[in-house]
Amino acid sequence: MKRRKSVLQDRSSKEYRCKRLFRNNWSGWLLMLPGLILFTFFVWAPLAQNIVMSFCDVKGFTIEGFNFFENYKRVFSDPMFVKALSNTFQYIFWSIIIGFLLPIFLGLLLSEVVHFKGLFRLGIYFPSIASGMAVAIMWSYLFDPNPGAVLNQLLTALGLPVSQFLSNQSLTIPLIVITMTWRGAGATVLIYLSALQNIDNSQYEAARMDGAGMWSRIRYVTLPHIAPTIRMLFILQIISVFQVFYEPLVMTGGGPDGASVSLLLLSYKYFFDSMDAGASAAVGVILSVIIISLTVVYLKLSNPKKEKK
Amino acid sequence: MFKRLKNKSTGILTYADYKKPWFKVLYITILLLLFVAVLTAVTPLLWLFISSFKDASELTATPYHLFPENFDLHKLAEVWQMLDFGKYFLNTLVVVVGAVVCSVFFNGILAYTFAIVKPKGYRIFYGMVLASYMIPAVTSIVPLYKQIVDLGMVNTYIPLWFMFGANAFYLITFKNYFESLPKALFEAAEMDKCGKWKAFFTIVIPLSKPIIGVVAIFTMTAAWSDFLLPYLVLDNDEMMTVIVKIYSLQSTMGSLVGFGPDKLLMLLTISILPQIVIFAVFQRQITGSSTQGAIKE
Repeated sequence: MKRRKSVLQDRSSKEYRCKRLFRNNWSGWLLMLPGLILFTFFVWAPLAQNIVMSFCDVKGFTIEGFNFFENYKRVFSDPMFVKALSNTFQYIFWSIIIGFLLPIFLGLLLSEVVHFKGLFRLGIYFPSIASGMAVAIMWSYLFDPNPGAVLNQLLTALGLPVSQFLSNQSLTIPLIVITMTWRGAGATVLIYLSALQNIDNSQYEAARMDGAGMWSRIRYVTLPHIAPTIRMLFILQIISVFQVFYEPLVMTGGGPDGASVSLLLLSYKYFFDSMDAGASAAVGVILSVIIISLTVVYLKLSNPKKEKK
Repeated sequence: MFKRLKNKSTGILTYADYKKPWFKVLYITILLLLFVAVLTAVTPLLWLFISSFKDASELTATPYHLFPENFDLHKLAEVWQMLDFGKYFLNTLVVVVGAVVCSVFFNGILAYTFAIVKPKGYRIFYGMVLASYMIPAVTSIVPLYKQIVDLGMVNTYIPLWFMFGANAFYLITFKNYFESLPKALFEAAEMDKCGKWKAFFTIVIPLSKPIIGVVAIFTMTAAWSDFLLPYLVLDNDEMMTVIVKIYSLQSTMGSLVGFGPDKLLMLLTISILPQIVIFAVFQRQITGSSTQGAIKE
């Protein structure tokens, strides 16, 4: 090793280093090229262009010069944007209420059960296999507000009043979140299950030796072990709820009266309904900025705990 | 029933606990709760399958009855022929196969250079991949669509195939796996003056069959379900995929004579069935691997 190094030092002229850099790396660069071209075309270039477009006058597809914050001003003064923003936080609120604890709970049950384990696992994961679009259409038929339709019949049979379901402004978002949870919870349950199964059993035995009951075993052994998974899935869930799009598009079209419009749906509507690509891009940028800052803040806040260990 | 619990020596509760009657009640409660969960998960899809056999008047009939008067498989054939639905299936198949090939090949090679070849400067690009991973791709769908229009690739499958070749999640999954392969193998390959390209095909690919399978299955389901970009790119009816066709039928409901909600439900059933078959075949890989990779980063 040492000898080779001295040889290199002898020939360390700039020209030689350049040649060597190229000779050692050109095949690697060549290998990277196809993948990088695809990433540029499908991810990086559209992203950069989106940011540029958000600061420009755009007619159809063509950029017609900078207008600085005009698009943003237009977006912020649109009551629909304010609605979409507040809806997005409602989506997040309901998804935390409905969809956050449930998978943890089901994961715990699933890790403890001995009978029918495979059946339960498959059954709970089952809704995740269908495509989001098909399932959203299916739910829009299940939530038929007709008093004779299936869910209202069920409510009547249970002695409850019939519901307008998605047409009821205060119910749309919770109902959409229920369908999202129905479809997404299975995959999350499996992630928790694998985290639970990774817990070293000797810790439970030690806890048992100390006379710890069921609750203290959960409190002092189980929860600390799955805490990192919980922390990670919590932020991932919030990020994915920020991007809710298919469900309101198919099930309500954003209605009634904008009650279920999400930021992404609004961005889509700006472009495809009002042909306003500038505003559409601006909403996309705002959404990305919110997601990135939220993630960074969250990771900052949840990291100091780690250092204490 | 409780005999099988005798072997339960791991987890929060063990057989030592279940000896007490109180815990037996708890265990039965756990079983019941899980049954309820499975029922909730499965029932809506079962409702769809059953209801799709109803005809238009039955669907809105009062009083409501759950089951159609007769399960007539002719309805399936009728809907299929009315829309010539086979061609959309064929289109989807073409999209899925191309997407799987692109996904495995391009993400695999890029991950291989990031994990093993590591040419100078690769870190910059890996950092860029990670950074863009956080930003939802849908936000920049308009400029992407514009690029596709500019290249004249509207109504072709090329963008739909190659889009799956640039996926940060698959790339990271591959990279994590490649990094776990024994380093000695690659050193030996270098000694033999085996080129990097050749090493990829003779060493990496044969050792990576499990992870290739995982990424292939993920891509298969993702490409089958993909909607937004296919919907924008494919506006010619002859080229549409199943999901795009279903959406366009749903959003223009009533404009096609003889096509009502009952037929749409049948189409939904038809579109979900292949996914169930794929799931049944690869069930272990899917449920086993959905837990990998997701947490690692």
